[in-house]
This record gives sequence, C-alpha cells and structure tokens, in this order.
Amino acid sequence: MFRFIMARLGGTVAVLILVAVMVFALTRLASGDPIAVLLGDQASAEDIAQVRVQYGLDKPLLTQFGYWVKEVLQGNLGQSIFLQRPVTQALAERTEPTFFLALFAVTIAALIGIPCGLIAAVWRGRFVDQVFSAVAMLGASIPSFWMGLILIQVFAVGLGWFPASGYGNPGVSLAERLHHLVLPATVLGVLNSALIIRFTRASVLDILNEDYVRTARSKGLSERVVILKHVLKNALVPIVTVVGLTLALMIGGAVVTETVFNLPGVGNLVVRAVLRRDYPVIQGALLVIAGIYVLINLVIDLIYMLVDPRIRV
Amino acid sequence: MSSLFFCKSVKRALSLTAVAMSLGLLTSTTVIAAPSAANLAMIAEPQTLDPMGTTADLVATIMQHVYEPLYTYDARWNVAPMLADGLPRVSDNGLTHTITLRQGVKFHNGREMNADDVVASLRRWTEVSPRGKAVGKEIASIEAKGPYTVELKLKTLYAPLLSQLALPTSMAAILAKETIATQIKDFIGTGPYRFKERRPDQYTLLTRFDAYSARKEAASGYAGKREALIEELRFVPVPSASTRVEGSLSGQFDFADLLPVESIARLERAGASVVPIMTESFGFPYLVFNTTEGVLASQAMRLSVQTAFGEGEMMAAAFGDTRFFTVEPNHFPKGTPFFSTAGADKYNQRDATAAKEIAAKAGYNGQPVRIMASRQYEFHYNMALVMAEQLKRAGIKSELQIVDWATLVQRRNDPKLWDIYVTHSPVFPEPMLSPPQLNEGAPGWWSSPAKQSTLSAFNQEMDPARRGALWGKVQQVIYDEAPYINVGKFNSLSARSQRLQGYLPSAWPFFWNTSVTGK
Repeated sequence: MFRFIMARLGGTVAVLILVAVMVFALTRLASGDPIAVLLGDQASAEDIAQVRVQYGLDKPLLTQFGYWVKEVLQGNLGQSIFLQRPVTQALAERTEPTFFLALFAVTIAALIGIPCGLIAAVWRGRFVDQVFSAVAMLGASIPSFWMGLILIQVFAVGLGWFPASGYGNPGVSLAERLHHLVLPATVLGVLNSALIIRFTRASVLDILNEDYVRTARSKGLSERVVILKHVLKNALVPIVTVVGLTLALMIGGAVVTETVFNLPGVGNLVVRAVLRRDYPVIQGALLVIAGIYVLINLVIDLIYMLVDPRIRV
Repeated sequence: MSSLFFCKSVKRALSLTAVAMSLGLLTSTTVIAAPSAANLAMIAEPQTLDPMGTTADLVATIMQHVYEPLYTYDARWNVAPMLADGLPRVSDNGLTHTITLRQGVKFHNGREMNADDVVASLRRWTEVSPRGKAVGKEIASIEAKGPYTVELKLKTLYAPLLSQLALPTSMAAILAKETIATQIKDFIGTGPYRFKERRPDQYTLLTRFDAYSARKEAASGYAGKREALIEELRFVPVPSASTRVEGSLSGQFDFADLLPVESIARLERAGASVVPIMTESFGFPYLVFNTTEGVLASQAMRLSVQTAFGEGEMMAAAFGDTRFFTVEPNHFPKGTPFFSTAGADKYNQRDATAAKEIAAKAGYNGQPVRIMASRQYEFHYNMALVMAEQLKRAGIKSELQIVDWATLVQRRNDPKLWDIYVTHSPVFPEPMLSPPQLNEGAPGWWSSPAKQSTLSAFNQEMDPARRGALWGKVQQVIYDEAPYINVGKFNSLSARSQRLQGYLPSAWPFFWNTSVTGK
C-alpha cells in the first residue's frame, strides 16, 4: 500500500512539471498583452512598453520561466497584474465559494443520480426506466447557462426566493452566502446527475447478471436486501469514480455557471485572467487545479481499495 | 371541549409571544440600524485602483468617489474648480497658470491638503498616467509657490490643459503625498468616500468620509457641492450583461451600468421597481485606418473605403433600436461648442460605384482590407460584418480578423498586421481628449501637414468661441484624409432601482448626492 501511494505521488510530481511547462508555453504563445489591457484603450505603444519593463515582461521567455519556477519552488505563485495581491491569496479567496458550490452540487447530483439510476436498472425496460433515461438525456443536453437563466427568472426575479447572482454583500453570514449558492448548485447538480444516472444504471445492470446475485435471491433474501446489500455495494466502484471526477471538475471551476450567477469562484478567476492575460494568475491557478485533480484521482484510487478488496491484493 | 379551550389558549399565548418577540426584534433593529448601502453593478472588475494608471472608464467611475482633481466638469461640460479654489490665473502670454488651492481640505488620513501634495501628484501624473504623459510634454514646470499656491508653466500655448486636468479617466488626481509610489498601496484621497476593501470579482467597497470638505456652490454635473448621503457604496463587477439585467429586475442591484439595448422592453415592463436610464450621446464607435502600411496607406484608397461605407447601416446593425443611436456627420453633438458639419458630404455615402472608380484610379489590385474587431463588444463585431459587405459591393476584398480584446489592443500596435480596427470612445467635452489619433504616434500613425497645421492652430487658440470654429477645420481634414471614421453616436442604457434617488445620467456614473430609501 505504501509503495503504491509513493508510486502515485511520483507520478503526480511528473504531471505537475509537465503542466507547469505546458501552461507557461501556452499562455505566452497566445497573442494578447496584459499591459495593453491594464492601461486602457487610449494608452500609447510607448506607455505600454514602459510598463512591460516594470512587470519584467520584456525579458526573454526562458528567463521569465526560470524566474517563475524558482518562485513556485519557494511556494510563491507570483503577483497578479490586475488584482493587486499575490496569486495564492486570490486563489484562497475563491476556495470557499467553489468548494461549497462543488460539494452542494455533487450532493444534489448524487442524491438524484444514484436512486434514479438504481430504480431505472431494477425496472429495466419499464416505463420508469424510460422516463429516467429520457430525463438523463435531457439533463445531459440542456446548456447550463440556459437552465441558469430560467432558474433566475423563476426563482429570483419572479418569486424572489433566492438572489439572482453573487456571493452576498460584505460581511454577511455563511448561511446567507450559502443561500446564494442554491440556484447555481441546483443547475450543476441537476445537469451532472444525468451522468450519474447513466453510470449507476449501467453498473447495477452488470451486477444484476452476476451469479452471486442469483445465489442471494435463491437463498431467499428479500429483494430489498439483494439490491441494497449485494448489488448496490458492488456497483459502487464506477459510481464513486464518476462522483469523484464530477467533484474534481467542479473544483476546477464550473465556468459557465459561475459566469451566469456571477460567483467569485476559481473558474471565474481563471476565465477572467485568461481574458485579460493575467499570466501569473493563469499559471498559478492552473497549476493548483492540476494538483487538485491529481490528488482527487489519488484519493479515488484509495477509495477503490476500500470498496473493492481485490485491488488491495 | 376543555382540551379545545386549552389548545386555543396555548395558541393565543404563542401568538402573543411571537408578536412580543417580533416587536423586540423590530426595536432592536431600529436601535442597531444597518448602514445605508447601494449595490452598483459594474461591467467588470476594475483593471487597477490607481486613478492615474489607466484610461479605462470603469476605474474612473469607481475612483472618482475617492480621489478628486483640481478641476472638473459642470452640467454643461464647462470646466469648474474642485480642489482648486477657482479657475487659474493665467499670465498675459498664456504660459503660466497660477492655481490657488482650497484651504482646510482634509485627506482620508486626516491631514490637510497643501501645495506639496498637488505638485507631487501632478508630477506623478505626468510620469505614469497615459494621458498625463502626453500633457507632460507640454509642461515646462510645476512648482509650489506657497502652502496653497501652485504654478504650472507651459512650454507653448496649450488650450486643452484644463480639460485634461478635469477628466476623470487617467485622472490628474490629488493624492496624499506620503502614499505616492509606483504601485499605490494606500488609496488616500480627498473624495466624499474612502476606500475600504477590494475583493476581486466580488466588490470594491467604499464608505462615507465623514470629514469631507464639500464645496459651497450648488451641485452641477460633477462640480459643486458633493454630499455622501449613502454610507456604503459597493461596486460589484458583473461582466455578464444578462446577469446585470436579471439582478436589476430582481431588485438585487440599485444601479446596473451599460445594459444591452434589447433589454429595454423588459425593463419598461418591470413596473415601478426598476427605472431605465438612457444617457444620450454617450459614446461614438470609430474605425481606425492604418495610414502607414498595407492597402490603406494610400489616401485615395482610404477615401474609396470611406465612400463605400454607409455609417447608417453600421449603426443600425450595431444598436438596432433607433432610440439608441444617431447617424450624423458632426463629431460633437448639436448645442456643444464643437458642433460642426464640415465634411458632411463625405459621411454615410454608401456609394459603391464612386468607391469602385476611386479605387480603380488608385490602382487597387485586389489586396484584401484586413478588418480587426473583437467580440468583447458585440456592436464592434456587427459593424465589422456590415463593413465587409459594403466593401464587397464596391469590389474591394476584405478579410475579417475577429480576435479577443487583449489580442486586439496588442496587435494594433504593429502596422504590419491590420488595415482597419474597430473601437469606441465616450464623447468627451474637448476634442483633444479622444480619439488618440488626433495626437501623434497612436495606432494608425496618422501624420500630415494639414493635420499638424490645423491642430496646432486649434490647440494654441485660447478663446473658446474661436476654438469652436477652428475645430470645424480639423474635422474637414479628417474627412479629407480619412485617418479614421467617426461612425455616429450612441446612447447608453443603464437602470436604477426605485429606491435609489437623485441619480443623474452621466458618462462616469457618480453616487454622491444620491440616496437610498426604504429597504
């Protein structure tokens, strides 16, 4: 087990090095100039060139890369060009909304997806299966911005139950901030439940055909025990994978939903940084997101071992 | 029966307790009143909070509450004093401006403003501000001549000086001297609001400055008495236009800036809770031509393109609803000192045949005109599409280069990469403030003897009435040489909640002298 974890950690470091090189190269290869954006439409080329020197953007790319790597190894992701704060602080500020949104949304997705998938599989081919499969297809096809706008119009503008956007006014309580997450989490939860329904259904169907299920039934166990104890437990491995990956995806930023609901999350930070070419933020954020991805994958592998004893061997 | 009675008594007791508790809560809320606050939805996160650091309007909109300039504009776009006591005393030769400062004006750190702060701030402005640097080339010296007197000496006559000092963008803001640095960390000004906190992509928070030294004159535009009636201003960045609209309709925002024109119908239907605001002659789109390299380096070809273009069609494609745009050749609105119809015959021609003839005479060989535009502003893109069609009608090939804004502002500095780019600007009260092509060296690199002679006469004329007439000559040269095309004027749409009172439509929305009522 220890060797397994160490091997995976080694892989993690290699992936992060690759990500660092790729991210740096891609941000610099893309055209666009953060300083031209910073100084505004009426600034002259001469002004832009002068300020580029201040930010070290006039140096050769390799020098800039070397400087950045050195900083990263010291735990410093650099200073944002636009936000007047270190990248680590900018990221830390985004952690709370992103984390709660992801958790909230994954919970909704799992609460809808696993029972629906299970029911669809148990009653395969019946009306209820067709309804759930159709709902899953629909869920996978609806654009999140459209669903977001509809929810805003109905529940924020029409009924006034939830705020239309944002993460609360300065100094509001955690409960008030979470209140702002209900609509976006519903959008993400409903849309992502589609995938979980399909995975659960497929996984449960596989297990239902197994010999030990037939044995369980033939020894007279009730259908409820068979399904919940023998089928669902064994079907959990792929479901955990999907739920974990969904969580990872959301921590990386639910960009569209965050934009529609104007949530100050990680996805929003990265997208806005890309639009204004805030190089330190793009590089730092992507490196951290990649790190989280790799870490979640590692955790999923560990959960596999707990759920499925065969992997431990 | 008795149990029913018991239930009723319990219910009554509970109701009474609930009423008592509510009353208690109500009393406690009246005792600890929350500060009055306004949520103001802006189009983006400010690029910086340094008031001098950028020409972006958004930064000016927010930071004009924190910092003040020596001069500002009144409701009729006249220059009026703000931190200066009055208009400057100008020497007979027009080169020396003596500025007397108001006394007793407090910075947010409690210290009184003096001439040293003004000199240090203006010097910084001429060193770091994109606008100030250009003005700095005209300035010989800025010196303190006493605790409340500053002397500014010009190298040559420069009529736009006060307009430049009064502009909120790339502002000649007066900073507390001790806070001046390359990167400002403490935002200490003299404005009616002080900077409290910035949470990127969440809000920039300003709170009322209780020791604010207001002017005595009645408020007029940006000038006169400023009073912070709302205790807390929260500038919330909301880049998605539809989210700004929904936030206004749901009552979340007290003000939402720059809404899509198409949302006017929904805002009007929303009833009394939301008030749509139209700011007339808010801005002008303009098309910059590359006068040094490529197919449009030839003046004849530029005139051919100008003849092919129909600005009316472009404005219609860009803004749709006719209430939101004006198709007119005058670069400045009617009723302003710089209104002129010079060159009107060359505007909105949409004459494909004539354009073809001019191109043929100029030896046009089928080289495509590269039009660079961004979809950051959808109307830029829509105009680019119309331009391509109009050129096609005149037999001129075109190539659309649709890039993001960060790329456009970089690529336009390289004359090899483009022939026309699309942008826009607010309508300023002084021609020399925009577009930058009126100065030397801006993208497009327009330089000609006619430009220099007409602009030099214009800039050295100190009499406002005569300057109006001289601007007509400059406008004529712009139509004759076609370095850029001023496409027309557009109105902006914003919205305020019913509870926000006292708001005046303005190019850089300001919230002193406004108040919020009720919840």
